[in-house]
Amino acid sequence: MTAELLRGDAYQGLRLDPRTKMAMVFVVGIILTAGGYGGLMTYVRPALAFMPLLLLLLSKRWSAAAFYAAAFSAAYLGEIFLLSSTFGILNFILLASVGLFARFMPGLMMGYFLVSTTTVSDFMSAMRKMHVTEKLAIPLSVMFRFFPTVREEYGAIGDAMRMRGVSLCGGKPLKMLEYRFVPMMMCSLKIGEELSTAALTRGLGSPAKRTNICRIGFHAQDIPFLMLSAFCLAAYVRWLIANGGGAW
Amino acid sequence: MIELNDVSFAYQNAAKEGGLLGVSLRVRRGECVLMCGESGCGKTTLARVVNGLIPHFYDGDLRGEILVGGKSVSGLQLHDMAGLTGTVFQNPRSQFFNVDTTGEIAFGPENLGLPEKEILARIDIAAREMNVEHLLGRSIFKLSGGQKQKIACASVAALHPEIYVLDEPSSNLDMASVADLRRHIALWKSQGKTIVIAEHRLHYLRGLCDRAVYLRGGKIKGEYTWREFESIPAEERSAMGLRALSLDELRETRSPASNQGRGTLELSNFIYAYKRGHKTMDIPALTLPKGGVIAVIGLNGAGKSTFARCLCGLNKRFHGTLALNGRTLGNAARRKKCFMVMQDVNHQLFTESVLDEILLGMQRENDAAAENILDSLHLLDIKESHPMSLSGGEKQRVAIATAIASEREIIVFDEPTSGLDLTHMRLVAENIRRLGGMGKTVFVITHDPELILSCCTHAVTLKDGAASSALPLDENGRREMLSFFI
Amino acid sequence: MQKSDNRLTPKDLINIGIFTAIYFVVAFAVAMIGYIPIFIPLQSMAVPLAGGIPMMLMLTKVRKFGAMLILAVVVGAVYTVMGSGIWLLPIGIVSALAAEFIVKSGKYQSAKKAVLAYGVFCLAVFGNYMPIFFSRDAYRSFVIESGYGEEYADALIRYLPNWIAPVLVAACFAFGILGGLLGRAVLKKHFDRAGMA
Repeated sequence: MTAELLRGDAYQGLRLDPRTKMAMVFVVGIILTAGGYGGLMTYVRPALAFMPLLLLLLSKRWSAAAFYAAAFSAAYLGEIFLLSSTFGILNFILLASVGLFARFMPGLMMGYFLVSTTTVSDFMSAMRKMHVTEKLAIPLSVMFRFFPTVREEYGAIGDAMRMRGVSLCGGKPLKMLEYRFVPMMMCSLKIGEELSTAALTRGLGSPAKRTNICRIGFHAQDIPFLMLSAFCLAAYVRWLIANGGGAW
Repeated sequence: MIELNDVSFAYQNAAKEGGLLGVSLRVRRGECVLMCGESGCGKTTLARVVNGLIPHFYDGDLRGEILVGGKSVSGLQLHDMAGLTGTVFQNPRSQFFNVDTTGEIAFGPENLGLPEKEILARIDIAAREMNVEHLLGRSIFKLSGGQKQKIACASVAALHPEIYVLDEPSSNLDMASVADLRRHIALWKSQGKTIVIAEHRLHYLRGLCDRAVYLRGGKIKGEYTWREFESIPAEERSAMGLRALSLDELRETRSPASNQGRGTLELSNFIYAYKRGHKTMDIPALTLPKGGVIAVIGLNGAGKSTFARCLCGLNKRFHGTLALNGRTLGNAARRKKCFMVMQDVNHQLFTESVLDEILLGMQRENDAAAENILDSLHLLDIKESHPMSLSGGEKQRVAIATAIASEREIIVFDEPTSGLDLTHMRLVAENIRRLGGMGKTVFVITHDPELILSCCTHAVTLKDGAASSALPLDENGRREMLSFFI
Repeated sequence: MQKSDNRLTPKDLINIGIFTAIYFVVAFAVAMIGYIPIFIPLQSMAVPLAGGIPMMLMLTKVRKFGAMLILAVVVGAVYTVMGSGIWLLPIGIVSALAAEFIVKSGKYQSAKKAVLAYGVFCLAVFGNYMPIFFSRDAYRSFVIESGYGEEYADALIRYLPNWIAPVLVAACFAFGILGGLLGRAVLKKHFDRAGMA
């Protein structure tokens, strides 16, 4: 489920404007990982945690949705169970891990939702509509494009290391890092060069105003999500003001 | 259409060979020209001069005048040339900026700011012409190499360039994809486009190219009409370092005698399926000659890479076994017996010198033994060099040397000659034969019939995951093997 | 792309994107140790150290104003959304800007200035810790409200007393310098010798 960042398979689920998705990633990520309990937030937090599941289901990412539902409930139950049972340092560590997991998971899944349902083309035009400079839009889209490549290269180098019998068991962790990272960066450099030539010979960086075949724009289905995001954000800001800045 | 007057170029980074020395060349509108010669002869550099990557991307010292479509390349920017020349590159894996096929085809026209309707119409036409309509809207990470190259062709065609530049486009393709590529080129030619192809594999270009330009050491050493080019005697052409012009002429080649009577390798339960998918490999049992050099052939997607990874014990979810010398080897044991020379050898070189690389693989570090191995592979002179600074062929030999040093009995080559010229292909074949002579069992996964004929003793064909039995490459076997390629 | 042209070209932007991806992956991998709260201070050492190699390589590939800044903005923005708090991005931008001027003062050729610049750049990592020190009470109640209980919160706070803040800042800088030196060493050992730097 992680290999297809910004993937482009014929997408049949709910269509949202990339800007809506970004707004929701922002809201879910920021609010759930920061503080804010009590009052309205009692309802906002669970609603936001539920959001990735809803969106993954609406976009027909069945396996990712199932994974999220299972992982999140496990973490949630674990938290309740751990709080009432064990004590001492083990509890300390386990609790923190489970808690952090429960807090970061929704944001990560929202990120996955964003990149798995948005094409590079969509992304670039959304960035342009938001007047984000190309100096950020190009590196950002190259970065997302490059994550799967990093994974592939990492895997191939790992294969080669296992075949050579070079493994962490050798007891030289620094050497291992070197063996993994240096070839990976060298291959990345080469791929980067090829990627650049292919993109540049097809006019990337042309001063002409870039057009886009992906019709992005806000539609009826964006409205409830945008409103919900705005509402949650407003509730959070209210809580922040009431609590003198919270945990920032 | 293209006019080069006394063009010289030297790469700024001295490590890169293959500059140009006083090249003058004229290509008329609608012509299809082959640029050939050994690796490092400058044909790729020539292609880069035509598409503007020189001087606008690669830094170096450029002299002379380059006119493309009547305009001086030096005075243009790369993006100005996007509608004029379109380039298909060698590696289908790394020439995608987008991750979806439709977006990739739209990418060029979008950059140039064409109206949306126009782009959609162009995608339609390009997809129909390249026969990739069924691939639209897919993730590029799920395409085969051949499919990727078709999308790359479509994405270039969508720009409607006057000139097509193809830089070793067939290097990573199987037979069926090469045939598709030939059709694309024929189509562009019929549209009156000017086409420049830098290429090692020549046989698929028969009847397509009007002219051939032969380069050596950065200079044009010969310009031929295609008829003149074909009439060069085979021996002379091979002395020029050029690959076969037709696969038919390979029928006469003699391959090495097979090593019989050294025992067998028994594969059993070589069955593997990805999650929920159909079986990508389905070989319940297969007996192979020990000490043989076995070619593994088959179209892309026939299960060759899965076979290689599983054989080498790299696939954790695979549970097949290999019986060798009366012992049955599981994954971990096979990892100690097998070695794969990967298609991209850059993945398997880790250290800062060739000698260290060899020592890393040895059971017990032994400088003298390591130097012996290096000497046998002509690597002794460069033992202090950084492996990554070497040429592709040298890197491959370093990888072979590590396999020998770590005393592996089975060595698997994954596409060792994709994109190699005749001389280098022969060097690889020589190394493979030498491994056979040392009693190693060698598997060669390849699309290259010339390589098979020059070093393999047996051939196994994979089709939809199933394997044929090992075919000894005697006279009949050779004919049968070649029939797969022709 | 004339030599005199100091503006970032699309080629540079693609390179920056690639190094940003590598930097992000590396930094993310080692930042995972902060998953366990007692190791949170270790982030100030591990992240600068590991990021040194891609950063030094990027600085040899893109010798123009803006590479570090773009990397900081992109990585900072993604981390902010992933919950690092709102301080990381602004601090990242300020320290990256300072770092940019340092490499610029070396005319993008000085290795020493590049290492120094990376040390300054790494001060951004402290942005992660800001909430703990600058809104201590709120942080404590945040931890308690998150369901960890007072005991846990107090232990965490005790574990990170105020005097440790300057130590962490210093660690970010020092390990940034070390990471930069490591990056230079790897560059010399591998990339220079391979003719790739």
